[in-house]
Amino acid sequence: MDYGQPLSFGATISPRNGARAAGDPLAPVVLAQRAERAGLDLVTVADHPYQPDFHETWTLLSWIAGSTDRIRIAPNVLNVPMRLPTVVARAAASLDLLSDGRLELGLGAGHYWEAMSAMGIKRLESAESVAALAEAIEILRDLWDTSKPGPLHFAGTYHRASGAERGPAPAHRIQIWIGAAGPRMLDLIGRVGDGWVLPGGTAGLARLADGNRRIDRAAVAAGRDPREIRRVLNLTGSFAPSSAVSSAVSSEMLSGPFALERFDGPPTQWVEQLVPLIVDGGISTVLLSGDDPAAIDVFAAEVVPAVREAVAVERAARGTTVRVVPPLRVRAARRDGIDYDGVPATLADDAVEPGDVRYGAVRSNYLRGGSPGLVLRPRTAEEIADAVTWARTQPVPLSVRSAGHGISGRSTNDGGIVIDVGHLRRIEVLDQASRRVRIEPGARWGEVAAALRPHGWALSSGDSGGVGVGGLATAGGVGFLGRAHGLTIDHVRAVELVLADGTAVRATEDENADLFWGMRGAGFALGIVTAFEFEVDQVGDVGFGQLTFDVSEDLPGFLVRWGAAVEASPRDTTSFLTMGPPRAGKTVAHTMNVVDSDDPDTVIERLQRLADIAPLAGQQALILPYDTLVSAPPRGGHQAAGEPVSRSGLLEHVTPEFAAAADRLLRSGTTYFFQIRALGGATTDVEPEATAFAHRSAQFSVVAMGASHDRIDPVWDAMRHHFSGLYLSFETDQRPERLLEAFPPATLARLRELKRRYDPDNVFRDNFPLASGVPDGAIGKATGRVS
Amino acid sequence: MTDYGHDLLFGSFITPTNQDIEGVLELTRVSEAAGLDLATFQDHPYQAAFLDTWTLLSYLASRTDRIRLAGNVINLPLRQPAVLARAVASLDLLSGGRIELGLGAGGFWDPIVAMGGERLSAGESVRALAEGIEIIRGIWDADNHTRLVVDGSFHRVDGAKRGPAPAHDVGIWLGALKPRMLRLIGRSADGWLPSLGYLKGLQQIAESNMIIDDAALAAGREPAAIRRLLNINGQLSAQPSDRLLVGPPRQWAEQLAALALEYGVSAFILAGDDRDTLALFGQEIAPATRELVAAER
Ligand SMILES: Cc1cc2nc3c(=O)[nH]c(=O)nc-3n(C[C@H](O)[C@H](O)[C@H](O)COP(=O)(O)OP(=O)(O)OC[C@H]3O[C@@H](n4cnc5c(N)ncnc54)[C@H](O)[C@@H]3O)c2cc1C
Repeated sequence: MDYGQPLSFGATISPRNGARAAGDPLAPVVLAQRAERAGLDLVTVADHPYQPDFHETWTLLSWIAGSTDRIRIAPNVLNVPMRLPTVVARAAASLDLLSDGRLELGLGAGHYWEAMSAMGIKRLESAESVAALAEAIEILRDLWDTSKPGPLHFAGTYHRASGAERGPAPAHRIQIWIGAAGPRMLDLIGRVGDGWVLPGGTAGLARLADGNRRIDRAAVAAGRDPREIRRVLNLTGSFAPSSAVSSAVSSEMLSGPFALERFDGPPTQWVEQLVPLIVDGGISTVLLSGDDPAAIDVFAAEVVPAVREAVAVERAARGTTVRVVPPLRVRAARRDGIDYDGVPATLADDAVEPGDVRYGAVRSNYLRGGSPGLVLRPRTAEEIADAVTWARTQPVPLSVRSAGHGISGRSTNDGGIVIDVGHLRRIEVLDQASRRVRIEPGARWGEVAAALRPHGWALSSGDSGGVGVGGLATAGGVGFLGRAHGLTIDHVRAVELVLADGTAVRATEDENADLFWGMRGAGFALGIVTAFEFEVDQVGDVGFGQLTFDVSEDLPGFLVRWGAAVEASPRDTTSFLTMGPPRAGKTVAHTMNVVDSDDPDTVIERLQRLADIAPLAGQQALILPYDTLVSAPPRGGHQAAGEPVSRSGLLEHVTPEFAAAADRLLRSGTTYFFQIRALGGATTDVEPEATAFAHRSAQFSVVAMGASHDRIDPVWDAMRHHFSGLYLSFETDQRPERLLEAFPPATLARLRELKRRYDPDNVFRDNFPLASGVPDGAIGKATGRVS
Repeated sequence: MTDYGHDLLFGSFITPTNQDIEGVLELTRVSEAAGLDLATFQDHPYQAAFLDTWTLLSYLASRTDRIRLAGNVINLPLRQPAVLARAVASLDLLSGGRIELGLGAGGFWDPIVAMGGERLSAGESVRALAEGIEIIRGIWDADNHTRLVVDGSFHRVDGAKRGPAPAHDVGIWLGALKPRMLRLIGRSADGWLPSLGYLKGLQQIAESNMIIDDAALAAGREPAAIRRLLNINGQLSAQPSDRLLVGPPRQWAEQLAALALEYGVSAFILAGDDRDTLALFGQEIAPATRELVAAER
């Protein structure tokens, strides 16, 4: 019997605290680090909280997690009755989060009841202890699952929860392995376990064949696949130069119980003994106990690679497929059309599907609810290439996500695949003198601002620190320093991206120049950016004034005066105006004004010009570091439900006619959020043909968000003639006309040519639909008109 | 006017959010780099937005070198006292004596019950805490060869092995406001750890000190055996003010020195999760306060 599980090898360390023997309390930690250095996959620690010579295991494991980088950790096995399952759930999720997903959970039902009850633990009979463990496991999984609605209620015989908040979700799908010998425990593993930790030594091996049969039967009865369940062997032994008795495994031994002698002998003999245990006995994790550092080295260097190789050969010869079979509860939630078993190996570990405890944190976006069938989370550009190459073969929607603040960008979907590049988020200075900074797409603008601040630099992005670099820097970037320093895309000097066919390319003014042009304004349609290089600006502290006006008397007049004052302001000043519908007969306009100067007199002078236009209802002015204006909220996933409804228009000037229309819009009650942002200034310095963001003469960007298109569209459509175009990042209307408003005909024609060249099959289709909507002929005509 | 003569400690009170783990690690590093003596973390295991505090403390202890760590305060109703005792001893051994035990009787009973804990009345929870402390001290008392028996109404041990002893004399500091808890501190704890924000005024510190001192004397202990700690909030500003801890560093130092000399407070633990304020607290305010107190003493 071989369950085809990928192999893992580790060391089991005893948690000796050295207290009585005047030993080193850190000795187990040193061994764990040794195991990591030796290249083992896993270090596990026994748990006997009643034993004064041992560290409390959870404490020790947490310490080990903090002093290692790569090796996985697990209790072997955790004494559950001595702890509250709800607290174990939180502790396990916490340790998994702290260790970046390196925890697996070996659990036990309790064994030394004498010692346990001396510690104040209520004694359970064997059957009771199994039932109690089953309840505890249910609580663990349920508390981790933040995608389930409401708090956890659980009324068991041994454990209770009555309205416990769910979460945190662990960083990865923690496997629950169960230490078991008796039939009831084996049945429990078959029903709910992700692994069986065999009793140590020869006793365990003697039960291997029977135990497997029992587990498999229970698994099948529960509708599960026995290959979901890992079989974990703890072994002891020594590498004595020669062994008196050869204990190689014979086939007769394997058909009956695995009655093995100790592992005593040279590494080659261990290999001979281990291979049949794997390919015939179903073992897939082998843990060496004994606390002997030299043995750990020999095991890792001489036994493990040889076993891996021999097993690979044997598995190939027998045609055994090697793969991780996810638990039934995950497979049951799978969506049609996705070949889950085909997910590239590099991505499988970190992929999240419905039914996974992490799903709740990745399914939705900041403004949009979603139910994707699979979220791939690559960590490198190569993995992004793997993701694209595979995902494009799946007949389901495909979305690309950086930080999930998409509005036009549908970076989640229903039943499709999301490639979430949030793990790529490094920010590094490439050249101090030219202020060249390399930023990966998963970084958020608040993080960028904080990283640039110590250099006295900033990069204008927007007004929100939670927005991702990837979505914004491929489309535009209308920000607080826009009039002073232009759009975000105007600072892009190079883009590294993965194309639809999986190839990685670099685009600059000189290299793939046409692609570079398209990446600045419509990059989302051409590839997945894996890194940007920006030339950022020298920016010290900035002036920030919030001016609130009561405009109940004359909103249109106010808007016109505000527009004029903004256009008349020096470039160092950028103003954003935000309004909601009138409340209780009162209309209030809130403006946020950023002055790129740390000189109080300049700041006051600039703010004064804007303050003079109407009676103030409130004001506040500060000089502060730019990054405090756009600080990023904690990363915790998004929980939105529903669909955002947003309309966008680019405006040359705030004319009295536009102002009257805006007044009507606000009074119509169809928008709850209305904003006019200053463009102009440096954003107009760039030629319309220089980037795919062509509307360079606009002085303002206007946004209105509403509850439904049905309601807001009639009012907004009637205003369209005021606009010279739209900023696609704020537009959710999917009617084809929008495309020509986002891109003037010449730009669109050029983009379509790029699209045909770089993404002929329209792999990247979650944002503005370059490839569809307007027939090419229409553009040809339109181009004619313009040129 | 009391000064129990303890050396002064300065610490941080960091929110153990699981939404920004890097931020939690960073604030701990900042605390250590600023020369603070202590980094402490609240413990609300029923709060899904927090990291499990014991796990976090253990992880952080392995990634720091000098700073002492403590729960502020550990929720006893959701933890097994005997297991907690071994956990504390383990971490103190691993960290070379850098762990203190802030401990609480529990306060938010609805969420405690939601997690499967038992609902206790205020009086019961104080008794349960007293039993817990007895068990914890009994486990730590490794050299004692008598059978460990605590036959409490809430916690029981009978013949549990003693040991290991922690690496240093771990202080048991109780988060407390009410007289029953204060008397428990006088009888059997090593420190009192209230939050300034929950006190009705400084007068409450003086009154509480008296209750603690009386209970200590009645139990045959020196009042000075009990450290008085204080969780504080404050605001740094250029302009001095007549409010407590709202003003420039110099004003903070003077006010903290007064709290030390007149109210016997010898540990100040600053909340707020602001790295710049913590840095200034450790680098400027702490030394200035120490200087003022030393001069006066
Ligand atoms: C609260 C809020 C405030 C905003 N403020 C501003 C603002 O001030 N100024 C402004 O200009 N915009 C602003 N926006 C709009 C924002 O720029 C876009 O929605 C942007 O797409 C969000 O980027 P993201 O990475 O967070 O989004 P995601 O949802 O992750 O991605 C959105 C879309 O971008 C594309 N995309 C994402 N990553 C990549 C990549 N690596 N390579 C190629 N394409 C990619 C995909 O088409 C995807 O659907 C704001 C949005 C919100 C929700």
